[in-house]
Amino acid sequence: MKAQGVALWLLGTALVLCSMYTHGFRRCLTSVDMHHLEECFQEIKRAVQTKDIFPNITILSTVETLRSVKPMDVCCVTKNLLEFYMDRVFKDHQELKPQILRRISSIANSFLYMQKTLQQCQVQRRCHCSEEATNATRMVHDNYDQLEVPSAATKSLGELDVFLAWIEKNHQETSPA
Amino acid sequence: MLPRLLVPLAALLSLRLGVGTYGSELPKPPMAWFKAEFFHHVLCWHPISNQSKSTYYEVELQWYGREPWKSLPHCSQAPALCCDVTKVTLDLYHTNGYRAKVRAVDGHRYSNWTLANTRLSLDEVTLKVDSVKLEMHEGFIFGKIQLPRPQVAPEGVTYESIFSHFRQYEIAIRKVPESFKFSSEKVNHENFSLPIPGEVGKFCVQVKPSISSRANKGIWSEEQCIVLTKQYFTVTNLSLFFALFLLLCGVLAYCLVLQLYVRRRKKLPTVLVFKKPSPFVLVSKLPYPEMQDTIHPLDIDSFQKVSLELRISDLHSSMDSGFSSTKPSLQLEEPQFLPVPSLQACGALGKGESPDLQVGCNDSGSGSSSSSTDSGICLQEPGLNPGSEPPWEKKVGSTSQGQDDSGISLIQNSEGQPGSTQGSSTLGHMTLPGPEVPEEEDPATVAFQGYLKQTRCTEEKTTVAPCLEEETPLTDDLCPQFRTCLDPEAGWPSPTLAKGYLKQDPPGITLAPSGVPPGRNQWNQLTEEWPLLGLTTCGNLGPSDWNPAHDLAPQDCVVAPGGLLGSFDSDLVTQPLISSLYSSE
Repeated sequence: MKAQGVALWLLGTALVLCSMYTHGFRRCLTSVDMHHLEECFQEIKRAVQTKDIFPNITILSTVETLRSVKPMDVCCVTKNLLEFYMDRVFKDHQELKPQILRRISSIANSFLYMQKTLQQCQVQRRCHCSEEATNATRMVHDNYDQLEVPSAATKSLGELDVFLAWIEKNHQETSPA
Repeated sequence: MLPRLLVPLAALLSLRLGVGTYGSELPKPPMAWFKAEFFHHVLCWHPISNQSKSTYYEVELQWYGREPWKSLPHCSQAPALCCDVTKVTLDLYHTNGYRAKVRAVDGHRYSNWTLANTRLSLDEVTLKVDSVKLEMHEGFIFGKIQLPRPQVAPEGVTYESIFSHFRQYEIAIRKVPESFKFSSEKVNHENFSLPIPGEVGKFCVQVKPSISSRANKGIWSEEQCIVLTKQYFTVTNLSLFFALFLLLCGVLAYCLVLQLYVRRRKKLPTVLVFKKPSPFVLVSKLPYPEMQDTIHPLDIDSFQKVSLELRISDLHSSMDSGFSSTKPSLQLEEPQFLPVPSLQACGALGKGESPDLQVGCNDSGSGSSSSSTDSGICLQEPGLNPGSEPPWEKKVGSTSQGQDDSGISLIQNSEGQPGSTQGSSTLGHMTLPGPEVPEEEDPATVAFQGYLKQTRCTEEKTTVAPCLEEETPLTDDLCPQFRTCLDPEAGWPSPTLAKGYLKQDPPGITLAPSGVPPGRNQWNQLTEEWPLLGLTTCGNLGPSDWNPAHDLAPQDCVVAPGGLLGSFDSDLVTQPLISSLYSSE
């Protein structure tokens, strides 16, 4: 009886720690002001999405792309997508209107802050990328490559709302208001 | 050459027009956009420029990222420029959104497709509450926000489930009839309370929802108004009132219990139970400031039981001879003594005058015998009333102002005077040939204040019975006549006399007005014992005229029936007595 009790106790402790590990790791970006990002995106959303003339193609909104990411892969996928936007989307998009350019710059700065926060989280915890996480990242890049660079960049900017919603769901879920 | 080119040229022109008319002649709608509220999604577009009556619009919808476009035929009803696409976009809150496009159709002509400027996503949903319920309670407005509950929403999909975190509401209050906001406040819950201290009137409330983590826009709800009035019946006020009421009831109950318990009527001991007081009270213990001279009647029966010897012994021992003094001051000092009625008044009374005149006994006597004493001993001729015991009579009024007698009056009764007889039978008047003793300020006399107070005639002017008739004028008698004002209500003449004071001075003569009228033998005995008493005097003799050597015959004076009177007019008595004394010498 005592052995069973000890075993059960150990198992429960392990589960709690794992949940805390994964749950805590998923919430590395809790300090990011997502509301500011969303406000910036709303100001450029119409201008960007209007230019998207390829409605049949999506980069981030595929059924199996983000919805199927497991909690353990959230850190890896988040890191990879942040690198995607910083290294390819913001650099490939050519914007002439200063108002839109200001907003895109603000979003880029917020993404940079998120990358640094995530790097600190990776130092404290292990941010291991599984095969599924790697495959999800590769799909995004493949979709981006199917289009011309300006159109792809424009479409990627148009899908920022999807990326921001996914971050909020996986990193900032707290108690009810 | 030219005719060969005309045919292909015409075919080419017709083909171009046909294509334009079929696919591109109609301009496409300039713009299309989504308007979305919570489970109310609408696609709207601008009409084309040269729209005709037969022009209609086709709408197609696509799940963002999926290939097939879905046509919406219900949106092709002309000439509508908006189409409700809620039913085909129910998964909006769980997907990345929808894309839509619109084109114009007129007959066989179609326009190009116009894509909606934005993707229909969760960010496009404008937030709005259904209503707000208001209540007022103790200076607070309590509100409950009613969130939208659309019927088309799938089961389990609610506002709270979609926006589970960071819900906020901005509350705006407007006081009617002003148009500006009275106050604005942000709350984080559907139930809120706003303080409105001291404000009364009509207040209208609006609510605008928002999500702090999202950029969704919100719109103000319809105004809900409430009237704030002064609440008097609040819980606090009612509690205070109830507590005060209980306290008051407790105090009243305590007072009532105290009243009943402390002041409960107790049965008097039988010893202290007195009979119903008659108008004549024996002894009055209660002070009557205006009537300090209240005289309480003495019970004649009980008084008669007192032995005459006691009275006589008192007479022997009293300093005062008992005879009225010529000093009026003494009488004035002792107002409680029944004054001797004036001779004139007595004469008038004897003729049956009214009681008022009897009252004048006191007053009228002032002129006649202002200096009369109040010994109350009236010397009476024994022959006038041989058979009867010296009656005790009540002294009627006073003959002088402020004169009170000792209750012993010497009355000279004529024969056949029923009043005197009556008086003698009841009062036991006794006349003594007492020479007038100068009423000096004897300390013994002063010390002995044993006179029982007799009522005056003034006090009983309404009930004074006619005085005993004294037909004989006073001047003709050796002894003045003294009247007794009898109280008819008493039923007997003695009560009035009973009210007299019985002088208890040892040196004086103490004769109870209602006492046993001494008989002739007793009188002789008295005279033997006290030679002074043998001097028959009818009233107060002047102190200077008193000569103990004179031996007045008792028969010179008549014992007034009915008892002793207090004092008698010395002026009237002194003269004849003195003359009789000198004559006897």
